[in-house]
Amino acid sequence: MNRDQLRDGELRGIAVALISVVAAASLAAQQPASFTMPIPPAAHLVAITNATILTVSHGTIPRGTIVIREGKIAAVGADVAVPAGAQVIDATGRYVMPGIIDEHSHSAAEAVNEFSNSVTAEVRMADVIREDMPTIYWQLAGGVTAVNVLHGSANTIGGQNAVLKLRWGLPVDSLLFEGAPPGIKFALGENVKESNFQPGPGRERRYPATRMGVEEVLRDAFTRAVAYRTEWQQYEAARRAVRRGQAEPMPPRRDLQLDALVEVMDGRRLVHAHCYRADEILMLLRVAHDFGFRVASLEHVLEGYKVADEIAAAGTGASTFADFWGYKLEAYDAIPYNAALMTQHGVAVAINSDDDERARRLYQDAAKTMHYGGVSETDALKMITLNPARMLGVENRVGSIDVGKDADLAIFSGHPFAPASRVEMTLVDGRVFFDRTTAPTLEHLMQQLQEQRQHRPAAAATDKGEQ
Amino acid sequence: MRPDARRYGPRAALALAATLAIAAPSALPAQTAAVPASRGWAIRNVTIVTVTGPRIERGTVVIRNGRIEAAGAEAAPQPGDSVLDGTGLFVYPGLIDAGSRLGLTEIGSVPGGEDQQELGDLNPQDAALTAVNQNSEVIPVTRSNGVTTAITSPRGGLVSGQAALMDLLGWTPQEMAVRAPAAMVMTYPRTGGGGRFARRAQPGAGDQTNRQVLALKGFLGDAKAYADIKARLAAGAPGSLKMNLGMEAMVPVMRGDEPVIFDVETAEQIRGVLALADSFALKVILRGAHEAWRLADTLAARHVPVIVGPITTGVGPDEPYDEIFANPGVLAKAGVTIAFQTNDAHDSRNLPYNAALAEAYGLSADDALKAVTINAARIFGVADRLGSIEAGKEATLIVTDGDPLDARVGPKYVFIRGQLVPFNDRHTRLYEQFRARPRPRPQP
Repeated sequence: MNRDQLRDGELRGIAVALISVVAAASLAAQQPASFTMPIPPAAHLVAITNATILTVSHGTIPRGTIVIREGKIAAVGADVAVPAGAQVIDATGRYVMPGIIDEHSHSAAEAVNEFSNSVTAEVRMADVIREDMPTIYWQLAGGVTAVNVLHGSANTIGGQNAVLKLRWGLPVDSLLFEGAPPGIKFALGENVKESNFQPGPGRERRYPATRMGVEEVLRDAFTRAVAYRTEWQQYEAARRAVRRGQAEPMPPRRDLQLDALVEVMDGRRLVHAHCYRADEILMLLRVAHDFGFRVASLEHVLEGYKVADEIAAAGTGASTFADFWGYKLEAYDAIPYNAALMTQHGVAVAINSDDDERARRLYQDAAKTMHYGGVSETDALKMITLNPARMLGVENRVGSIDVGKDADLAIFSGHPFAPASRVEMTLVDGRVFFDRTTAPTLEHLMQQLQEQRQHRPAAAATDKGEQ
Repeated sequence: MRPDARRYGPRAALALAATLAIAAPSALPAQTAAVPASRGWAIRNVTIVTVTGPRIERGTVVIRNGRIEAAGAEAAPQPGDSVLDGTGLFVYPGLIDAGSRLGLTEIGSVPGGEDQQELGDLNPQDAALTAVNQNSEVIPVTRSNGVTTAITSPRGGLVSGQAALMDLLGWTPQEMAVRAPAAMVMTYPRTGGGGRFARRAQPGAGDQTNRQVLALKGFLGDAKAYADIKARLAAGAPGSLKMNLGMEAMVPVMRGDEPVIFDVETAEQIRGVLALADSFALKVILRGAHEAWRLADTLAARHVPVIVGPITTGVGPDEPYDEIFANPGVLAKAGVTIAFQTNDAHDSRNLPYNAALAEAYGLSADDALKAVTINAARIFGVADRLGSIEAGKEATLIVTDGDPLDARVGPKYVFIRGQLVPFNDRHTRLYEQFRARPRPRPQP
């Protein structure tokens, strides 16, 4: 279990979360890695051969080749020739799928919640990303290539997100997914009401304390944003009307918080909204409708199945857990059929982790949707690839194995949904950022210890890892 | 899979009209068994995965009076038995979660339903079974995914209390109990730190750990003295002993009749447990123990079983990325008896996927299956009743459309003690309710 910050869905350890949210700087669990891996060379020309290719967009190729040029997929198919000079990755017996996209993450962030106000649209996760968090590597080892690092759910309008590619070892700026549209976190329900913990010493309860207040916070913020936008529009109009010799009008005072909300209303910033109950989902959709924007994705949305038609009609995506439930009252009606029911109603669904550890096995979580509600294999795969890519506005770059897309790929030992499969290799932009043959595995550690013992006869009688 | 097939089982397979009537939906309380245990059942043309013996293709399993009457190619039903056609299906023993919180929690954030952790450090007298809410919504949800039997444990302190092994079916906790107490639960103290190679503990943490270890040793010393005095009095020695409920609960432990589950993580803690086992002649079971691979040969030689997991937990910054996934395979190869736990209530249904992850990282398919069935039964001394498909054992079994470790498939039928249990849980009920929701009424 994560021990560091209040995760949206994670209230398993309420007391722990409480302490952590108050002492938000506590980072005990996220120490920098003490190991580094060599930075993989740029992928000028790479060919993955003999693989079963799960393209997600156009079916499965039983024995195919993927050619990668300058980090992009240049060719994919059964009859694709390996170009001369290509670095060949033989994937005989293996399965290749698009790199997994975790639509809801708080990984690699040094802070998650600016919880002091109910509206903190001005803060940015991009300012607190750390490139040295080992979770980046562990998630690569689970086939994850991109993550949506969201602000936490402590307040109604949280901070701005950062979409990352897991280019482990590169400088922090190189982790940001270039060209990904900006986004922002909203949150509803128990977390923003502070239902499950007491405020820290010396801190009074913060408005809102009810779902009524949550709606009011949203409407008030957007009402202010509308007025702010009008101020700027009037200023721009006045400036355009200035004649030679006349004084320039004074610009309005710049407001970083309202700038972000104006971008939301103008469709230039995607809203990722944490929510649980059906009533609050409908409330948010009404607010979005009234202020003229679309919610890109509902996060968690554990009661989405109750209002699937309304979500579909709003054109909103749903990013949910496979089967995590019962950790708080608003998660008591969570059912593992949620993803299937929403899919049947035409909602694009993602399965996310919200958790460094769960992120390592998202493929197993996606597989569960086939059992609970009969989702097709392709639809289940989409929930961790193409659908989250759409919610993040990067579907033209990642999410399927198609010519022209980034070569972000996960190579599995067997079918990703089969019980004994594991990730063997993970590529981002065609570069091999995880390779199990060179990874620091337990097997490698045991070999090292074995060699040490052989060089220290006195210790030879001790057990496997004993030193 | 068709959703209604999941709920009621493949209708075509229900050969007898009587069976259909019994399997009818609705209004069944969560704890209700649909079919009386006295009814005989025959599951025909089914692949029987016995676990302890060879796999039997196209066999028949006959269930009567709560037990497996016969399982094999030759097994024959009696007239009047309900017949299930198992063509394309598999029979496995019910899965056993060797460490859960089932019945002790309902909604994590609601204190009123929390009965996992008592106050204080030494609570050997507290029995988990006492607090099991047999009507918890979590229990039917769990068994619907094939987990039929579970250890439920108290937590916290040095001596948390008594764990119970229970079937996930019954009108009372006592009806559910398979063995209670199944084990005493203790935690071996750990010095907090930042991982194996960099245990940067807080100042004073080592002292605190030492004090806790001393407290545990002192407690076990008292328990040993109490048990010894009790034995001498029973043998006719003069004197008396003032009744102490905690010490009474420890008597079977000190006699070696009841095992101790030690929750541990590191090799250092395991060494501490082994030393305690030597000093006090304890029968120990390790639980958690993601570093047990370091002592695998020792544990095998000493026949100390390890309940691994949940392996769906994070890793320390300096641990191999796959340590927690690969540990079970290393242990099994060394000959250690392993089982899996979820250490959770709501997540208990995901027990088999813990084993699947371990299988992906080196545990053999055979050992993975044993670890969620017969091994748990062996560890808790009920292998004569549960954990495999053998004549004479309790008919606690699942009929699936594939490997129970495969998240894509699941049980078609669940039997507990010979009773067919309907898939009528909180999740299927909500599913059916909202699947039937009409199109939204147009808003004015």
